[in-house]
Amino acid sequence: MSHGPAPSHELIDHTSEIQLRVRAGSFADLLAESGRAVAELQLPRGHSAPAAGRRQLRLTAPDRERLLVDWLNELIFLAETDRWVATEFQIDRADGTSVVATVRGVEVPQVRGLVKAATMHALHVREVNSMIEAEVILDI
Amino acid sequence: MTNAAPFPIVQVTPLLREIPVSARADMRVPVRIYADDELWQQIADDRSLEQAVNVATLPGATGCVYAMPDVHEGYGFPVGGVAAMRAADGVISPGGVGYDINCGVRLLASALELSAARQHLEEAVHDLSRSIPSGPARHARLDLGTAELDRVLQEGCGYLTELGLALPEDIPTIEAGGALAGADAAKVSARAKQRGHNQLGTIGSGNHFVEVQVVDEIFDTEAARVYGLHADQITVLIHTGSRGLGHQVCTDYVRLMDQVMERYGIRLPDRQLACAPLASPEGQDYFAAMCAAANFAWSNRQAITHSARTVFSRVFGDAGCLSLVYDVAHNIAKLEQHGDEQVCVHRKGATRAFGPSHRETPQRYRSVGQPVFIPGSMGTASYVLAGTDAALGLSFGSTCHGAGRAMSRGEAKRLRAGAEVRKELERQGIVVRCPSSGELAEEAPTAYKDVERVVSVVNQAGLARKVARLRPIGVVKG
Repeated sequence: MSHGPAPSHELIDHTSEIQLRVRAGSFADLLAESGRAVAELQLPRGHSAPAAGRRQLRLTAPDRERLLVDWLNELIFLAETDRWVATEFQIDRADGTSVVATVRGVEVPQVRGLVKAATMHALHVREVNSMIEAEVILDI
Repeated sequence: MTNAAPFPIVQVTPLLREIPVSARADMRVPVRIYADDELWQQIADDRSLEQAVNVATLPGATGCVYAMPDVHEGYGFPVGGVAAMRAADGVISPGGVGYDINCGVRLLASALELSAARQHLEEAVHDLSRSIPSGPARHARLDLGTAELDRVLQEGCGYLTELGLALPEDIPTIEAGGALAGADAAKVSARAKQRGHNQLGTIGSGNHFVEVQVVDEIFDTEAARVYGLHADQITVLIHTGSRGLGHQVCTDYVRLMDQVMERYGIRLPDRQLACAPLASPEGQDYFAAMCAAANFAWSNRQAITHSARTVFSRVFGDAGCLSLVYDVAHNIAKLEQHGDEQVCVHRKGATRAFGPSHRETPQRYRSVGQPVFIPGSMGTASYVLAGTDAALGLSFGSTCHGAGRAMSRGEAKRLRAGAEVRKELERQGIVVRCPSSGELAEEAPTAYKDVERVVSVVNQAGLARKVARLRPIGVVKG
């Protein structure tokens, strides 16, 4: 479910890693948009196959920053172990400490870019001009 | 004292600067940075210094936090950082080791010289690229069952001799014999094992590679002789780590430490530095899991060695026999005795460089010090160095680990296309096998600091001694 302004993301240069900045109208949309950003790094170039498989993800964490990192690490784990890249996100429920989501994705012969992990360095989730903005550094 | 950086800087010697412990109220020890003026400008340009100062706040930090001349901004710890915490009352930080636990470098030496190898070089590099899986999430031909994987985690390279992937004579020439005694496979999560069970013998991606090189110049004839190296000799350099298994161990334990820090009264300027007392149950569990992941990484480089030996033997016959010179980690935390204290030395993007007198220097290298390998970037030289006794007092026995990134991957790609990088390498006579031109562009030599300058600083500062320069002639990239 979408709430307010259209979500967006940027991949920002970092000396050795990649910084992800995401903006959305709600925390649920923020999680979905951050998932799309990671898929952008993982999908082979020119990949256009529609999402097929579906999985339900349930995560809990002590705060929303940690929840965002855990969410991204879950997607990274699925891509590496199953070569399954999540591309479509329906956030069924999300608050500051838990998320339940139905995720659709695609199997790929090989993940394009290796994202090792989402880190907690310079991590923040904050309200900016009636939007929620998050920044997280991905180890690549 | 100058203020070029956001902290007061004291110039100690022409190659050593210090951020005094008084620079920020929460620092427990000073930060010392090894660099010449040009490298210093690059270091002061990113957040390396701020990250090193953050590391200096960790409980139990002792001596100084050191930044090597290849230091650059990372996350939590800077890449190229060394910090020691007292074992008795200090902390251990998974972020101080990083996600690629025991990323490291291994050098193999052949009996071939360039003139004999040149004719079959392309075939050999092509065969290496087919035999050693590379790229993200590429799976190995070896798929380990649960019991086998646990033995790799517990026993490291010793178990690989049973699998026929290691020679008995390999073991003494691997740091720690390729197996840390503190490893406990039971402390490695099922998710980490799920990521790693089919990755043994794979390079991965990013800056990881297998290179065929030629010994280009000898600087220390005696050390080169002891290491079994001579001019024009063909060598193979392997740079990779613990793959997804190590990444997941770090992910698991950063999360755990983040949850328990408050209980131990630890407050930090950066959550990625999440830590727990080494003596605590959480600290002990991470140490055991990290040791197991380190054993996996040494075994990974060993399995790649087996593949390289098979290829060289097939292509070059008896002269292609590859002997192991040494294997050294550059992302690891080790328990070491320094002076009267037992400390947990975190080396993140820094290499142990023990000298002739150290008991952990292999017996056969006691006359000259342990070998250290400094990979350059594609198309630039790599270096063989020798550890020094002096480094113990200068940097907890540590030196640099590579050229060090100077430019983001995005910037590198905008500056030069991958196809252009490939052509330039080929013009230099370097055979390249890389699945993606984008990856080639990201790892172009222009994205890195000048390795010659980095090595010159550690040589002059006494952190290690130059022994030989290796020039790449074949590159298999992840």
